[in-house]
Amino acid sequence: MTSRKLSKPADLPDDLRPILADWLLAAADDVFLLGHRNSDWTGLAPMLEEDLAFSSIAQDEIAHAQAYYLLVSELTGQPPDKLAYGRSPVQYRCAHLVERTDDFDWARAVVRQFFYEHYGWLRLQRMVRSAYQPLAELSGKIAQEEKFHLEHLDDWAVRLGTGTDESRTRAQRAVDKLWPDALCLFEPVDGEQRLVEAAIFPSAGCDIRRAWFEEVSRVLDRAGLTVPSADGMDRSSCPPGGRRGVRSESFGELFAELAEVYRIEPDARW
Amino acid sequence: MSKIRENLPGPADGQPLPAEPLTRVYEVFLQPTRNEPHVQVGSVNAADDQMALDFARETFGRRQACAHIWVVRRDHLVGTVYGEDFMERACDRGYREARGYQEVRRKWEQFRRKGDVDEYQKDDLKEAF
Repeated sequence: MTSRKLSKPADLPDDLRPILADWLLAAADDVFLLGHRNSDWTGLAPMLEEDLAFSSIAQDEIAHAQAYYLLVSELTGQPPDKLAYGRSPVQYRCAHLVERTDDFDWARAVVRQFFYEHYGWLRLQRMVRSAYQPLAELSGKIAQEEKFHLEHLDDWAVRLGTGTDESRTRAQRAVDKLWPDALCLFEPVDGEQRLVEAAIFPSAGCDIRRAWFEEVSRVLDRAGLTVPSADGMDRSSCPPGGRRGVRSESFGELFAELAEVYRIEPDARW
Repeated sequence: MSKIRENLPGPADGQPLPAEPLTRVYEVFLQPTRNEPHVQVGSVNAADDQMALDFARETFGRRQACAHIWVVRRDHLVGTVYGEDFMERACDRGYREARGYQEVRRKWEQFRRKGDVDEYQKDDLKEAF
């Protein structure tokens, strides 16, 4: 562990810089894809007010992604647009959860975001303590917005769980379906442990998966929904997945749409 | 239009509407800064108080200054009835209106902007001491 403050990219040890870039891409890709998925609900959410709220959340996520891509750009010199749109699928580092389609099932969109928010929140609590100052500062700003996202999604999870028979059934189905993906949010990027040791991604000081499980269970209990088995929670590592470039079958269609405009003229200036 | 969106299922035919409305209308009052009064800015539909606050914050609080929000269920508001308006007066009582006071602040600010105040105070002090 080091207590030295790292205030700019040049302060980072050479061998940690590419690991941090990769790790930041995971954070960026998660919210970029999630934001894109959620923006599909603009104009279609169950009610006008939620349409605005969910679209705002989607917009926030994409703004957060942009900020993370900028940090990566400072480390690697690659332009943020190229990072966002111009990589090959195996170079993406997002978790499979954020790639999944919701098939316009509102419960599934809510549960996907709900699982993610709790993960993202725990991750942010560590990032704000980062020895790498640009990351610590950015995370503090992002956390201010994420606090409301978390409340919003907790509220919806409980609302669906305690609503009608149909909303309960759909919410439970979504929980069961997305659960295995949610557990793999914690898959580390290659070399992540080195960032933990350097306090760039400080240790949680507890079993982070267990913390996630307890938070999520608390809300699902309140929603009257059944919490799936905790089996697999204690695995020290997932099989190679999204964080190591293995893409789920949902990625292709999503990526084709996402990068459609960029690919027409990759060097266009906007 | 998104290709993914084309998969959107349409509304199911023949489904009965719920007898009780799922949501109610809440009026939203927003206070731009702590020193200003709450002003009605619109309304939201929501299932309960918590949802109404959440929606009000998202709908009205994000794109303008907002220090505080009240939400009130519209059916909890008590109001007068148009047409039975007891405030519409038969005789001209314009002399009773404290209209002048509303203008004081604006005039004072206009005056201050001109920088005349400082000049005035300087002269004032000269006379007094």
